[in-house]
Amino acid sequence: MSRVQVDRERCVGSGVCESLAPDVFELDDDGVLQLHREEPEARELDAVRDAVQSCPARALALAE
Amino acid sequence: MSVNTPAGSVDVDALDIDAIDLSDRDFWAEPPAVRHAVFDKLRAERPIAHFEEPVMEGMEPGPGYWAVTRLADLDAISSEPATFCSGKGAVSIQDLPADLSEFYGSMISMDDPRHARIRRIVAKTFTPRMLEQVLDSVIGIVDQVLVEARAKAEAGDGSIDVVADIAAPIPLRIICDMMGVPEEDRLLVLNASNTILSGGDPELTDEEDPLTALLEAGMNMAALMERLAAERVANPTDDLTTALVNSEVDGEKLTHQEIASFFILLLVAGNETTRTAIAQGLFALSENPDQRAAWMADPSLDKTAVEEIVRWVSPVTWMRRTATRDGEVNGHSFKEGDKFLLFYAAANRDPEAFENPHRFDVSRNPNNHVGFGGHGPHFCLGAHLARRELAVTFRRLFEICPDLEITGEPDRLRSSFVNGLKRLPARFTGQR
Repeated sequence: MSRVQVDRERCVGSGVCESLAPDVFELDDDGVLQLHREEPEARELDAVRDAVQSCPARALALAE
Repeated sequence: MSVNTPAGSVDVDALDIDAIDLSDRDFWAEPPAVRHAVFDKLRAERPIAHFEEPVMEGMEPGPGYWAVTRLADLDAISSEPATFCSGKGAVSIQDLPADLSEFYGSMISMDDPRHARIRRIVAKTFTPRMLEQVLDSVIGIVDQVLVEARAKAEAGDGSIDVVADIAAPIPLRIICDMMGVPEEDRLLVLNASNTILSGGDPELTDEEDPLTALLEAGMNMAALMERLAAERVANPTDDLTTALVNSEVDGEKLTHQEIASFFILLLVAGNETTRTAIAQGLFALSENPDQRAAWMADPSLDKTAVEEIVRWVSPVTWMRRTATRDGEVNGHSFKEGDKFLLFYAAANRDPEAFENPHRFDVSRNPNNHVGFGGHGPHFCLGAHLARRELAVTFRRLFEICPDLEITGEPDRLRSSFVNGLKRLPARFTGQR
């Protein structure tokens, strides 16, 4: 199983991940990143990889 | 036109690299073809090149700066905020007094943890989900501006100025709506943001002394903010100003000065950059009629086309970082205190990062441009808002104003910092 990891120190709440993979990432009303699930479904993996690569703060990782 | 193939219209090999001076104000008055030929030369032969600082009256000249033109180098520096800080100044080459720099640059000119604290407070306003809620108002504002532009043309000689009549009012109205700035104060906001970002272009500052004009513009904006903030404390609404006066992080509220600087950052950065992208984007489309036709016919290109406009235009030409220690980046040694100017406009035409970088291609994919900044904590806060504004603006332009025709050359802002236009003449042909 692949697992999403968030570095909370680095996250700046840019929301880039949410725009690429809204089923997995969401910024809550306080601007804090919430994961709908830590282990994305197989069909979501491409979008999650995009999100990890595009994160401007390099706060995301996907352990595969 | 040669503007779209800069490398082809200016002989890069014939340029004398030692004669290049990015601190020369006259260089920033040169047409894009010359600017990009110079960037090409530097990137290929001296990708981290040293320049003396521009002379600024009343200030001691500093130690100079390194101009970074390769995308890989730029991103490496941007990704290491602990080594390459913003707190010594991000939007000016000279070290300004710390309070002035922070006032004008707000969190742009701060480092973590202070930067992160303020950024978190406002980040929630700029998420994709929150923006879905303002989408309807964005479409309404764009339509209103376009209808007014056509009415103005019909009432006059048929011509309009794309900058004053389309590109400036759209982002101004959107950001002022979000902030809750009353109608009667919006002209003040427009004038002040012009002054602050003019880079001393004499046409945009009435004052003889640009520093005086800068201070006065800032004080005007701060006064407006004080009044608004006080009103929102008394009568909260659902606007961003209300959110700012009420927001707390770790039990702390933003200080009076932090709210003022953030207000200036939002109004200035939210206006000028999007205005530049709309005006320069329209000019690029008129220079590339095949790309305009392709995009107009296919709304599924909105996403890639908007990214291409941001890459192509690079509304913000550079940001500065300052080394906090001695070290080495991609083989280049640097000393503590060295200044780096990250030239986004140059990196966005890097042939190692983009195929045919001097081709304007609305379907370009992948397009890992740095028009919103490189990797790192200062990545553009308003990127989603800007993307949405641009996508809606161009789609509605195609739908409501397919007969809008650019009729002449743009009048360019002479600024090293913003790739702005002062005027862009156009008319409605009436042919749909």
